[in-house]
Amino acid sequence: MILQTLELKNFRLHKNTFIKFSRNLNYIVGGNGQGKTSLLEAIYYLCTSKNLLQSPDSEVVNFDEKFFEISGDFINGSGNKIRILYSLETGKKNIFLNEKQIYKSSEIIGKFPVVTLTQTDHFITQGSPLYRRKLIDSIISQASQTYLKTLMEYNRILKQRSSLLTKIRETGYPVYEEELEVWNASLVKKGSEIIEKRLEFINEFNGYVKNSYNEIMGEKEIPALSYKSTVSTIDLQNIASVFNENLQKRKREEIARGYNLIGPHRDDVIFKINGYDLKKYGSQGQNKTFQISLKFAQFFYLKDKLNKTPIFLLDDVFGELDSERIEKISFYLKKIGQAFITLTDFTNVENLNKDENDLMIHISKGEVKNVS
Amino acid sequence: MILAEPLQVAIDELSKLPSIGRKTAQRLALHLLKSDPVDVENLANAILDLKRKIKICKRCFNIAVDEYCEICKSEKRDQQTICVVEEVSDIVAIEKTNEYNGLYHVLGGVLSPLAGTGADSLHIKELLTRIHEENTTEVILALNPDTEGEATSLYLAKLIKPLGVKVTRIARGLPMGGDLEFADEATIGRAVLSRIKL
Repeated sequence: MILQTLELKNFRLHKNTFIKFSRNLNYIVGGNGQGKTSLLEAIYYLCTSKNLLQSPDSEVVNFDEKFFEISGDFINGSGNKIRILYSLETGKKNIFLNEKQIYKSSEIIGKFPVVTLTQTDHFITQGSPLYRRKLIDSIISQASQTYLKTLMEYNRILKQRSSLLTKIRETGYPVYEEELEVWNASLVKKGSEIIEKRLEFINEFNGYVKNSYNEIMGEKEIPALSYKSTVSTIDLQNIASVFNENLQKRKREEIARGYNLIGPHRDDVIFKINGYDLKKYGSQGQNKTFQISLKFAQFFYLKDKLNKTPIFLLDDVFGELDSERIEKISFYLKKIGQAFITLTDFTNVENLNKDENDLMIHISKGEVKNVS
Repeated sequence: MILAEPLQVAIDELSKLPSIGRKTAQRLALHLLKSDPVDVENLANAILDLKRKIKICKRCFNIAVDEYCEICKSEKRDQQTICVVEEVSDIVAIEKTNEYNGLYHVLGGVLSPLAGTGADSLHIKELLTRIHEENTTEVILALNPDTEGEATSLYLAKLIKPLGVKVTRIARGLPMGGDLEFADEATIGRAVLSRIKL
């Protein structure tokens, strides 16, 4: 999938911007607050109809204006044009695919797969387990609709079950414990499906991460992912029966606290380098390298699974890295095909190995100054 | 704008009905105001009769005119099969098919701790008594295929199976006249799993 052109009207700083992209690497260069990341944000809108930074649509409209409009031309099989129009007055976002209005944003999800690396991604390796679950859930969901459905059902069961646990605690009424058995059965069924799918995914994804990490770091460091489950630390062969057993064991504790204490919603993914826990022992550079490798791995994984090349968006990927890694990453990027990369650091530009097919797009005050 | 009080009361009451919003309630109230008094009286009586004359069947909790509903009173129906449904409206849906000739049992909801419905607020005890007293041979669970419906089915199966009664659940799969291509993956997946031999 290739994005050929992008046109912006009243989109943040961009009053009226039109860019023709390269089919290869597009480096977006400029100072702080000049509108570089806005370009990635706009591309993300085209792919998902949602905001990359989770900002409300109304904040994206240029000051003094009443609407924003984004259009993009993709080569996606037969060629697709997406146009998104947001009006501040109505608060409505209208999406057009080949100039035909789309009413459900789910209709374009998955059609234009996208992989992003942003500043908040440092939470993936350094933050709470929530961020790691979010990452793997979003990758698996992009490749499997069934997984997404199971996940949604599981979340529903969690809500019902915690409400029942609280009820048991408050009333001390043993009759509800029979009901609890039923919710346990549902929890175990859907929960085991989720864990199985995650294990299968991590097993496969490990190879992708190794490859990516290797491309950036060479073979002196070997990364690995493993799944850490609250259901069982040792036996993940008979997930359902172990899950059930542990629910029985911790029943009193769950009732006392009124929470769902075990299940995939509390599981974690552990990242390691040469056998050492990255979160505990990793340096800033190693963390950053790992985050970048995960995103490259996600890109190649989705490309294989979906038979479609995702759009790759990288926001300030080169900060905190030494010149050797910058060089390696810039070489690795050439295997991606089309990518969009913002840069602030002018001094390192000579390490980028830019060739004649790549574009350097200079942005200043929401305008394209020159393209080279 | 301040409305005459009776009109305001009528609007308030009408807007309590399902799928009736403020605007529709207002339109209905104004329409009633203009209507023939006889028509309005007929409507009012019909509504009152609903509450006065319609009872709940003692046996299956369907709506009835007498102590028992028409289905329970009919001798043509298979007395040994009970189809368990969530609401009366589900009976209407199944009856329309003409494919079922047994009895019903209305649970009056499904297990949902979030909504505050537990087993004790459903007609489960009554169902178990019926199975016991009526020599039931099969119980068909016809609850919605969502999270709460599934949990309720599991719960009922657990209670009924020890009684030595066959427990079945209605099949799920592709809708008639549907297009395989446009069905969602979960539905197709389930349909494949519960395929039948020809």
